[in-house]
Amino acid sequence: MAIGIVKVKRNVKMTFWERSYIPEVLRGIAITSRHFFINLVGFIPAILFGKERKIFTVYYPEERVKYPDAYRGRPILVLGDDGVEKCVACGLCERICPAFCISIQPAETELDKERYPETFTIDQSRCIVCGFCEEVCPKEAILMSQDTEIADYDRKKMLYRKEDLLVAEKDLRMRQAYVRGAFARWNY
Amino acid sequence: MDLIIDIIKILFIFTLIMGVFSPILGWVERKQSALMQDRVGANRADIFGFTMIGLFHPLADALKLMTKEDFIPQGANKVMHTIAPFISFVPALIAFAVIPFGGEYIIHGKEINLVIADLDVGLLYIFAFASLATYGAVIAGWASNNNWSLLGALRASAQMISYEVAMGLTIIGVFMVYGSLKLTEIGAAQEDFFKWGIFLQPLGFVMFLAAAIAENKRIPFDVAEAEPEIIAGYFLEYSGMKFIMFWMAEFIEIITISGIVTTLFFGGWNIPFVPTATLISFFSSLGDTWANIITMLIHIGVFFSKIIFFIWLQMTIRWTLPRFRYDQVMKLGWKILLPLSLLNIFVTGVVILLFKK
Repeated sequence: MAIGIVKVKRNVKMTFWERSYIPEVLRGIAITSRHFFINLVGFIPAILFGKERKIFTVYYPEERVKYPDAYRGRPILVLGDDGVEKCVACGLCERICPAFCISIQPAETELDKERYPETFTIDQSRCIVCGFCEEVCPKEAILMSQDTEIADYDRKKMLYRKEDLLVAEKDLRMRQAYVRGAFARWNY
Repeated sequence: MDLIIDIIKILFIFTLIMGVFSPILGWVERKQSALMQDRVGANRADIFGFTMIGLFHPLADALKLMTKEDFIPQGANKVMHTIAPFISFVPALIAFAVIPFGGEYIIHGKEINLVIADLDVGLLYIFAFASLATYGAVIAGWASNNNWSLLGALRASAQMISYEVAMGLTIIGVFMVYGSLKLTEIGAAQEDFFKWGIFLQPLGFVMFLAAAIAENKRIPFDVAEAEPEIIAGYFLEYSGMKFIMFWMAEFIEIITISGIVTTLFFGGWNIPFVPTATLISFFSSLGDTWANIITMLIHIGVFFSKIIFFIWLQMTIRWTLPRFRYDQVMKLGWKILLPLSLLNIFVTGVVILLFKK
């Protein structure tokens, strides 16, 4: 992976033409005003010929960018296909969390997994979205979602309980695949 | 009768500048910078879902700034802190009084001169008030009791004094060519297209524009504000309406600079190759008064179109060039503009001596 090394030129001797400043100013103004006029009349070809405009602004609340699968949003719990959360309340995520934002109350269950979290709370006002919990989880029970809109007016509302965190597994296939690929070499 | 005409002229200029130009310039600045940078620009303020390509933003701005807290920092000089925005705002507005926005017209046998105050010392008046605006910046920075503000004020005073010298000297060439300080006479002398100031004083035009933008403290000469260096310079501690007064003073000064440049170098209200007499005789079938009125309206339109062009040019310069370093600003002012303007005066004098015998 050889990256091309660019040598920065320092103290470049400018020609008299460049040092006289005015022609270079005019050149700059020509470039910016070209963009200005192209964009000023840009809506005409956009309407007439459906040609795409040069403007690449995304109108955020109405339009959204699709994040890559590697994106880390707020963590969520995986609800398995059988309708039970995958978490076994081992407490690894609670231990590794550098912001101490996860708190789990384990309990016993009749199911095969024997343990389940009675409460599972993530304090989103403390979470730093590092993704350690996802990395450490042996059951793929906690994953990072693509949700970034977690702002709220009240800190008490930032406490996400288990019901708020559960997301069906079928919506998380992409992230699951990514996690398996990314952390495969440590899965022994 | 004269008083009524004067009041009408004052109201016309006042409403045009305060009511139309300066609010819209805020929108123009956002929208033009957006277009130049391939963005969309302000378009979110809406009334019942109509956004009007962002034209409601000045309205929203005004509402927001009026309802904001008027904050005076601890340890600031209250009187000076309050008075400073007015000192920088009023001279910017008042300077427009001597700029002619049209020639002389005879309507109902009454001669109407389209300038609010036809002073014999028109340009000196503009310079006098331009240098008064310096006090606004200096007092604002000093009275705010803030280190950044003080730095900005010092920079502003040094820069504005330096560029005032250069600005005054670049204009002397224009006086020498037209032989008058009266702006109406300078405007009337440029009826012939080839007698426009840009042809007689090309170097003077470039230097005057540079000095005027520096005087207005806009990019590339905005070392007095310089957000990345000294946050916002002299108006850092201002909020609400006082802040918007600095903002509007800047915009009004843009209009004033455009007006001066138009009058001195781009023929004022004159249309190229169409003298006033031709225009009046073209409409003479409508009767003398109506011909004069239509000519007057056309000339006002031409004058303000030229002003709009120069506003566009200044905005383009502002969004194209990066900021100068402080020493570069001083070097440009004292080592380049000053000698060049002296050279300009010398060459102009020699040419006048040789060819105007």
